[in-house]
Amino acid sequence: MRISDRRFALYLMAPAALFLAVFVAYPLFRLVADSLFKISPTAGGPRDFVGLDNYVRAFASEAFMGAGWRTLAYTFVVVALEFALGLGMALLFTALGRKSEVWRTVFLYPLMIAPIVAGLLWKFLMIDNFGLIGTLLHQAGILQNPNQIGWLSDPGIVLFSVAVPDIWLTTSFMCLVLFAGLQNIPGDLIEAARLDGAKAPTLLFSIILPLLRPVIAVALVVRGIDAARAFDTILIQTNGGPQSASETMSLLIYRTMIRFGDPGLASAMGTIYLLAMLGVAFFAVATIWRPGKDN
Amino acid sequence: MPTPAASGTGSPRRRNHHAEGLEAGKRSTRTLLWVILAAAMVLYGFPFLYLLFTSFKTPIDTIAVPPTILPKEWTLENYANALGRNGVLASFINSTQTAVISTVLSLVLAVPAAYGITRYKTPSGRVFIMAALVTRMVPPVAIAIPLASMMASAGLADTPIALSIAHTTISLPLSIWLMSSFFEAVPNDLEEAATVDGCSRLGALWRVVIPVVSGGIAVTAIFAFLASWNEFLFALLMTAIRSQTTPVVIANFQTQFGLDWGSMTALAAVYSIPVILLTLLLQRKIVAGMTLGAVKG
Repeated sequence: MRISDRRFALYLMAPAALFLAVFVAYPLFRLVADSLFKISPTAGGPRDFVGLDNYVRAFASEAFMGAGWRTLAYTFVVVALEFALGLGMALLFTALGRKSEVWRTVFLYPLMIAPIVAGLLWKFLMIDNFGLIGTLLHQAGILQNPNQIGWLSDPGIVLFSVAVPDIWLTTSFMCLVLFAGLQNIPGDLIEAARLDGAKAPTLLFSIILPLLRPVIAVALVVRGIDAARAFDTILIQTNGGPQSASETMSLLIYRTMIRFGDPGLASAMGTIYLLAMLGVAFFAVATIWRPGKDN
Repeated sequence: MPTPAASGTGSPRRRNHHAEGLEAGKRSTRTLLWVILAAAMVLYGFPFLYLLFTSFKTPIDTIAVPPTILPKEWTLENYANALGRNGVLASFINSTQTAVISTVLSLVLAVPAAYGITRYKTPSGRVFIMAALVTRMVPPVAIAIPLASMMASAGLADTPIALSIAHTTISLPLSIWLMSSFFEAVPNDLEEAATVDGCSRLGALWRVVIPVVSGGIAVTAIFAFLASWNEFLFALLMTAIRSQTTPVVIANFQTQFGLDWGSMTALAAVYSIPVILLTLLLQRKIVAGMTLGAVKG
C-alpha cells in the first residue's frame, strides 16, 4: 500500500522531531517546573513547592540584574565591533577582487579554534605581569609601564577585555557573510553611481549598506544570539570576576547552580533568560530578518 | 561556536561576479589596500602564532618578565609534559568519540527530516523548521542541568554517549537548516524520473538524491563535528573522569596544576592544529556551508 506524501514527509521528520522533543523540549519543561521549587542541591533531597518565589528572588537580586545588564552590554560590544571590523574586511576583500581568495581562507582560521582555547590564549596575552599586550604597548611608548592597564583585573574594563576573544573568533564569520552579500550587489549600479560622481562614503551609506540590509540583519541576529550566550571564553579568563564585573547571565546561572547549590533559583534565572532570548530573537526575526520573504 | 546563518529557503547561489563594480580601480589604491590587508592578517594571525611559539618555550621562559615573542631556546618539554599527563590522551579519544557519535547522530536524524521538509512542503514541515530555529536560540546553560540529570537517571552519567546526545541538541537544528538548503537546490524531476523507473520513494532518496547532495552532507558533517569538538559547557557539566573531553582538561589545568602555561599552550595547540589543517583543506566546503542561505534573507 502506498502511503500519502504528507504521511511520508511526517515519517521522515518524526525521528528528528522526537529527538528534539525528548532532549530539548523536555529539559526545558523540567527547567520551568524546577523554577517553582526550592530544591536541595543534594540528590534525593527535599523539594518544596514555592510558587513564584524564585522569580521574586531573582528579580530582587543585584547579581541577577547586574548580570542582565552586563550580558546586554557584552552582546552590544561584541556584535558592534565584530560588525565594524567584519564589514571593513569584507569591503577590503571585495575591493581586492579574486586575488584575495587565499587570504579570505586564511582569515577564517579562528573559527575553527575552540572558544576555550581562544579565551585561554587572550588571557595569556592580557594577564598582568607577563602579558604581551601590556609589554608591547609599553615598548611602543603608549603605556608608562606594562601593567598600567589591568585588562583582566580592573572591574571597570574587564567586561570589554573578556569580549576580545569572542570578537577575534567570530569577526571572520561576520566578514564572510557580508562578503557573500557584497558579491550579490550588481556591479553596474555601483558603476552608475560612480559615473554620477558619488564618493566612497556616499556609495557605502546610500547604496551598499541599504542593499546589504537583509544580510546584515541575519548576521546581527545570529551573532547576537551567540554572543548573549557566551560562557567558555569568560569562564576561563576571569570566572566572572573581579567582583562579578564580568559575570554574564550564563556564568551567573552556572554558578548559582554549581557553586551556590540553588537549582530552584538557577532554574528561575534560566527561564527568564530563555524567555528574554526568545522574545528578542522573535522580534528580530519578525521585523528585520523575515525568513522566507523576498526582500 | 559561530554558526552559519541558515535560511531554509536559500539555494546555493551561483558564483557570480556582480561585485566587480566594487573592485578598486587605481593601481596606487590597490597597493595601499594590499598593505592594509597584510597588516590586518599579521594582527589577526599573531595571537595563535604566539600560542605556538609559547608552547615551544622552556617553562621558565613562558612566564618571563618582560615576555619575548620567540622562544630563547626551542624545546618540546611542554608537549611531553602536557601529553604525558594522566588522562590527557584519554581525553583526545573521548573528544574524538563524542564528536564522531554526535556527527553521525545529527546526520542520521537531519538528512531525512530536511528532505521531508523541503521535498513535500507540508504545513507540519514549516512548523518543524521554525521549531528547529527556535531551538537554536536556547541558551545551553538552560538545558544543561536538566539534561545532565536525565542522563544520570538513564544510567548514562559520564559517558561519551550522553555527551554526544547533548552536543546533538546543538548540531541537529543547524544540520536541519543546512541540509534543507542543499535539498532545496535539487530539482524534483530527479526523483520523479527514478520513481518512473520503478524506484520506491525511499529508494529514490537513497540512490538518486543522497548522492547528489553528498557534498552538502559533507559540509553538514564538518559543522556538526566542529560544534562537538569545540564545545565546553555541556562537557564541563556532563563529564567527570571517564568521558572528559580535552576542552575540559585544558580548563582544569588552571586549577589543578597551578598556572602551568607551557603545558596549557602545548595542549591547546595539539587540540587546535588538526581542525585548522582539516578546515584549510576543506575550505571551499566550509565557506559554502557558512554562506549558504545567509545571503538570501
